[in-house]
Amino acid sequence: MAAAAPQPTASAAPFDPAPAPRRPRRSLARRLPVEGLSLLAGSLLWEIAGRTMDLPWLPPLSMILADLVTLLGQESVRANIMASLQALVIGFAISLVFGLVVGALMGRFRSVEAALDIYVNALLVAPTIILIPVFFAIFGLGDGTRLSVVVVYAVFVIIINTMTAIKTVDPAMVEMARAFGASEAFIIRKVMIPASMPLVMAGVRLGLGRAVKGMITGEMLVTFVGLGALAARFGSQFDMSKVFAVSLIVLILAAVTNWLAQLVDDRLTRWAD
Amino acid sequence: MTDMTAVSTETQPPAPWPDDASLAAASHGGPMIELRGVSKEFLGDRSSTTTTHALDNISLTVNEHEFITVIGPSGCGKTTLLRIVAGLIPYDSGQVLVKGKPVTGPGPDRAVVFQSFALLPWATVLENVAFGLETRGIPRAEREEQARVLIKTVGLAGFESRLPRHLSGGMQQRVGLARALAVNPDILLMDEPFGAIDEQTRRIMQEELLRIWGYRRKTVLFVTHSMEEAVLLADRVILMSPRPGRVHEIIDVPLPRPRGRETERTREFTDIKELLWDKLRVMQTV
Amino acid sequence: MLVAFLTFWEVAARLAHNIGIATFSDTMVAAWDLMFGNGRIWEAMLNSNAALVLGFAISAVTAVPLGLAAGRSRILDRALSPYTAILLAIPVAPLVPIAITAFGLSLAARVSIVILFAVIFIYVNTRAGVRSVDQRLVEMAHAFGASERTIWTKVVIPSAVPAMFAGLRIGLGRALTGMVAVELLLVATGVGKLLLEYRDRLQPAYVFATVLFVIAEALLLLELARFIERKVAPWND
Ligand SMILES: Nc1ncnc2c1ncn2[C@@H]1O[C@H](COP(=O)(O)OP(=O)(O)OP(=O)(O)O)[C@@H](O)[C@H]1O
Ligand SMILES: [Mg+2]
Repeated sequence: MAAAAPQPTASAAPFDPAPAPRRPRRSLARRLPVEGLSLLAGSLLWEIAGRTMDLPWLPPLSMILADLVTLLGQESVRANIMASLQALVIGFAISLVFGLVVGALMGRFRSVEAALDIYVNALLVAPTIILIPVFFAIFGLGDGTRLSVVVVYAVFVIIINTMTAIKTVDPAMVEMARAFGASEAFIIRKVMIPASMPLVMAGVRLGLGRAVKGMITGEMLVTFVGLGALAARFGSQFDMSKVFAVSLIVLILAAVTNWLAQLVDDRLTRWAD
Repeated sequence: MTDMTAVSTETQPPAPWPDDASLAAASHGGPMIELRGVSKEFLGDRSSTTTTHALDNISLTVNEHEFITVIGPSGCGKTTLLRIVAGLIPYDSGQVLVKGKPVTGPGPDRAVVFQSFALLPWATVLENVAFGLETRGIPRAEREEQARVLIKTVGLAGFESRLPRHLSGGMQQRVGLARALAVNPDILLMDEPFGAIDEQTRRIMQEELLRIWGYRRKTVLFVTHSMEEAVLLADRVILMSPRPGRVHEIIDVPLPRPRGRETERTREFTDIKELLWDKLRVMQTV
Repeated sequence: MLVAFLTFWEVAARLAHNIGIATFSDTMVAAWDLMFGNGRIWEAMLNSNAALVLGFAISAVTAVPLGLAAGRSRILDRALSPYTAILLAIPVAPLVPIAITAFGLSLAARVSIVILFAVIFIYVNTRAGVRSVDQRLVEMAHAFGASERTIWTKVVIPSAVPAMFAGLRIGLGRALTGMVAVELLLVATGVGKLLLEYRDRLQPAYVFATVLFVIAEALLLLELARFIERKVAPWND
């Protein structure tokens, strides 16, 4: 625990977040780039362990990175990345439209909420992966399976957040707009939508993260294209370094898409933080 | 942020106190707000059968340029009364007339100032003040020009592009007041507008309100919990009693205007306040 | 409402003429068979759940203390934060082959995948729970001269319990996903094996029925978690 920190009187350390007088040791810890150091240490440890222990499932980090570069240089790999991206973009776009519309309807109309609530919640908490064989049985090896997997992974969290956002719009705001004679359409456009934006965007970002997971899982399970298929193939060849390299690509993809979503979020909800 | 409520008051144009003759010339004569035997019941939730008799047979006339304050114990229906006049909720029986016409909904002749300010948190001061004009479809350039004038009037010049959360409570309610004034209503409906503001700021806001009111002498219906406030601002104080909400008594406040802090030190002011307290304390159930 | 949904299912399935879609009535017959006919669902569930229980227990036992520690120590928190970010963002599915290489087609491999799925959410929520403890309460306890131990047991941990339980619930859902994921991907056993087998034999009613069993288990487990939470932390809700 905090014993790792250079603290002179560990026994007298008060509960950390308490408003105790600030002591110099904290400013030192604050200035150290702990995150970077920790990441560096972890990488080194991995490298050393990989080299010395010679375990098949733990290739040295340098080897993984080398494989990453090699893979990115290959035409076929790039084609697979594009195929994955395509499924991600289309699937996520469908989730977005569907999730926002259904969520908004559920938030606005009690009857719609009452009708759909249990299904949305059940599918939100149930392990979505179990549906993949079902989709495969229905759609076969086609794009229908890949897209529907992305959609079921992403859509429910978008629905739930949108619904909650609409339902929790401050009624005082709506009453205020009514008092100024605003029309229903005006209230939706100028009050409800902006007011629900932070929660909606949170749902969209969660949905995007889940879409990436759905994309890769679907590809691993049922198709022969995309990053997931690549990972599955290297896995069956026991080329663990390449499996890690593909995972790294997916991680980068997740980070980039999340960053993009964050940019949009920041633009739309700058007022809220 | 330091309290900005006192800023730039002195840079304001001096309040031109309209003489009664010029006001009478601008007046349309009849009563501005009329309530005739208005009753309102709230049905309980579907689960329970409890209904609240919020207003019972309320009759009340507010004349043009009059400043009316409404006071009474919590739950006696003050907010309900205000929301009915604003056209935000329907009433069960009786008649509510504004400028002689029955109220069927909100209208451009009335504007509301809310206790919770009800500012749009994503909109700047300028956008918030222009909101009422925006609902009326006034083009951006025009509404922003009008909004800027009102922002100056309430002493917020220089804060146009701030977001509400970067303002103190007093400043936020200045925005609420400017937003209401911007639509140039005949009637201002104010529900405990200074209830959520600290005592010092509230006193300044009261003086400001009196100053601004002096320009135009709009008709004001003002709900409050504070006896000083009720007497200081009003031409007449409506005293309401609870369960069911009724007009208990109407008390005239014949103190000279313009009023200010000196008014509170006068004997007459104290007398009216004490009279009000005597009547209110017998209603207080606790 | 349920009736409407089931009717819709039945009618849509009949109209669809898709070899992969089972009608509601066929699914119910299959479910009956799985329970009382061939009875295969019990063995499959038992088998699958061994990995779930072990994996979830290990996740909880490591993630909760780690989350509490990271909630307390800023340095530890910062040191772990890059790994937290990676684990939150990375899809676990591609890592399944790695677990298989490490542990073979064994229970250990399945358990390790369940842990990879579940552990991070429990950790993140526990940490957030400690972080969001009302500072006025901590201050109050300090003012009464409470020892740090007392503050932890009487203030910090009880306040963190709701967030912690939320994390455990999410972790449970994720653990179920992990359980099914390995079985579908590589270690054909338990419900995963059942699913793949019936899918390949083109018996969609059995696929649907198995799916319903897993969803039912998920909902039951979450309800159980809620029940325990109400017992442990009745002041919350
Ligand atoms: N929407 C509503 N549904 C049901 N009952 C209501 C509703 N609004 C108000 N009431 C009830 O009507 C009565 C009058 O409420 P109102 O808000 O008008 O009182 P008030 O005089 O403004 O009180 P306060 O001084 O606390 O603001 C109260 O008993 C209240 O509980
Ligand atoms: Mg009120």
